[in-house]
Amino acid sequence: MTKVVVMEGDKIASAVIIASGEEAEATARQAIEQALASAEINSSDELYVVSTGIGGKSVSFGKQQKSITTCLARGISSLFPSTRMLIDMGAESSTIIKLNERGRLADWLGHDKCAAGTGMFLQQMAKLMQMPLEEMARLSLQARAAAEITSTCAVFAESEVISHVHRDPPTPREEIVAGIYSSLVGRIMALAKRVGIEKDVAVSGGVALNSGLINTLEKELGFCVLVPEKPQIVAALGAARIAGENIEKA
Amino acid sequence: MKAAPKNKIDSIIRACRLIMRMSQGSPDVRKSQTLYYTMLIKYFSRLLHAHENGDFVAAHTVFFPAELIYAMDLVPMHTETTTWMTALFTGECSDILAAGSSLGLASEICTPHRGLAGAFATGALPRPDVMLWSNMVCDNTAKSGELIMELCHCPGFFIDRPFKDSKYEVDYLVGELRDMVQFLEAQSGKKMNWDRLSEIVARMDKQIELIRQINELRKNVPTPFAPLGFLELLTIDYLFPGQPEAIEYLETLHSELSESVKKGEEAVTDERFRLMSFFIPPMYLMAFLEKISREYHAVSVIEPFFTYWGEGRLDPTQPLESVAKKSYMIPEMRMYGPMDERALNSIVDCAQQYKIDGAVFYADVGCRHSCATIKLFKDTLNKIDIPMLTLDCDVVDPTITSEEEVREKLECFFELLEER
Repeated sequence: MTKVVVMEGDKIASAVIIASGEEAEATARQAIEQALASAEINSSDELYVVSTGIGGKSVSFGKQQKSITTCLARGISSLFPSTRMLIDMGAESSTIIKLNERGRLADWLGHDKCAAGTGMFLQQMAKLMQMPLEEMARLSLQARAAAEITSTCAVFAESEVISHVHRDPPTPREEIVAGIYSSLVGRIMALAKRVGIEKDVAVSGGVALNSGLINTLEKELGFCVLVPEKPQIVAALGAARIAGENIEKA
Repeated sequence: MKAAPKNKIDSIIRACRLIMRMSQGSPDVRKSQTLYYTMLIKYFSRLLHAHENGDFVAAHTVFFPAELIYAMDLVPMHTETTTWMTALFTGECSDILAAGSSLGLASEICTPHRGLAGAFATGALPRPDVMLWSNMVCDNTAKSGELIMELCHCPGFFIDRPFKDSKYEVDYLVGELRDMVQFLEAQSGKKMNWDRLSEIVARMDKQIELIRQINELRKNVPTPFAPLGFLELLTIDYLFPGQPEAIEYLETLHSELSESVKKGEEAVTDERFRLMSFFIPPMYLMAFLEKISREYHAVSVIEPFFTYWGEGRLDPTQPLESVAKKSYMIPEMRMYGPMDERALNSIVDCAQQYKIDGAVFYADVGCRHSCATIKLFKDTLNKIDIPMLTLDCDVVDPTITSEEEVREKLECFFELLEER
């Protein structure tokens, strides 16, 4: 997905999320046009663009390109200044970010070698369970226990889920879903512990919209986490903040 | 199995010759660099033609005291370095890694050793007359020698080097070395030349002192030594312990760096990030790492467990005891086994003395021993507010991580340093 945040001064004027196309630059232009239209800003001449993420380097009209981790740190600290750890769970990768007292990136650990701990894992499981993600989330909240899904590998977890479904008697669906969330959260927790968990913890990325997953994560952490209203745009917000800082410096 | 891969020694020699030819026209090439490649060509050429010259080839694993091999006028073959150099100079190791896998070696086995086994199995490396190995630096090394013996149908000798360096342990090691000398004498038909060994030990002592002096120069801001120049220092130590050419190279390098410091010349323009490095960068990405270092004005100024020698001097009047003692001074050996406070304190000392901005740990996925130290080193540096990047990679296997992945992580890290 391609996300754009347009800021006017210190305020978010608009935020747009569109499906990424084959050409990163074309998609970026399209997203910016939509964002400007939504913010009722006509001219693009005065835009200071900072790009980030996969395809960020392909945006030729950007004045600067920053790493996703820097942008995530900036973005989340602008929303929740007390954040010291951000768990970003995207479609294809998960990243744990540590922030210092100034809200700057202090450390990070990514997991981008496989689908375990990512949105892709959840999507695959939703397909397997033959239910939308929203229903999975709702169902998981009803579970009294979580089915054991020992494998964090998406492929092997699929086999385990199938076993639970076809067991005699079958494992209750809400418990299977709870088990799926536990498996994903387990992966995330392992990463987070390596970096060192420190409150306040925030969550970003599309997966953060999943209330069932957030609930499971909070149980595992033992405390509540901060979730932005639009968790998918945190990196884009960070990039916009950096753009604003650069304008001020100039 | 596919046809035997091209002789790797020959490939290394050709690559070195090409580098020398290409750099000859450049006004910026250091004399020490020319010496370095000349030394490599000589070392590997001697190895390549050893048998046709009637020489006795003693293959040995890393940190095995090659001083003893040189003292007996035998031809040493440093096994792991040969694998690294294959990746470094030819960029191609997949053939010997695949050959190693087809022997049944799991993909989790350290690639230098897996590649080594594959290289010997397919004849890509010359068959040695003996295999000499030890438990330095790890269990993989300890098992590797046995496998090479089997593959090459040659006799071998294993040295058991204790982890600790009390008098009892060092005396035990001296006994092991003495037994090894007897073994080599019986196998090669040559006698140990103890006078020559004393000379080698004297030069080894000087070699270590020169490296210490070079490291002192590297403290300078800006630092005068190339971003990844420390790999030359490693190679000199691995391949030429106590050899006259090693002294010549180090004296030349020392002189060059002294001159650079006097003139205020910097290794990278507008030095911005001074880094501490742990373990070995991926050899197949060396050119890229050098390039990105210059792009971001970053330079490795110290490597506590590669170039920072432990305390002590070697005594040429007691050559075997000195060889034993040296094994406890070797920078890398201080990283393995139970780590003591001295080793951890050296990280803090180095960070402060060298004015480090950050550290990079090249986390070779096949090296359990070094990866076990990641958290320890990171926590140690954390206490003095120095961030450390852990870069998952492999020394020789390019399938573990790509240039793009490394670039992304290094860029993130440099941004983190920039914002501090």
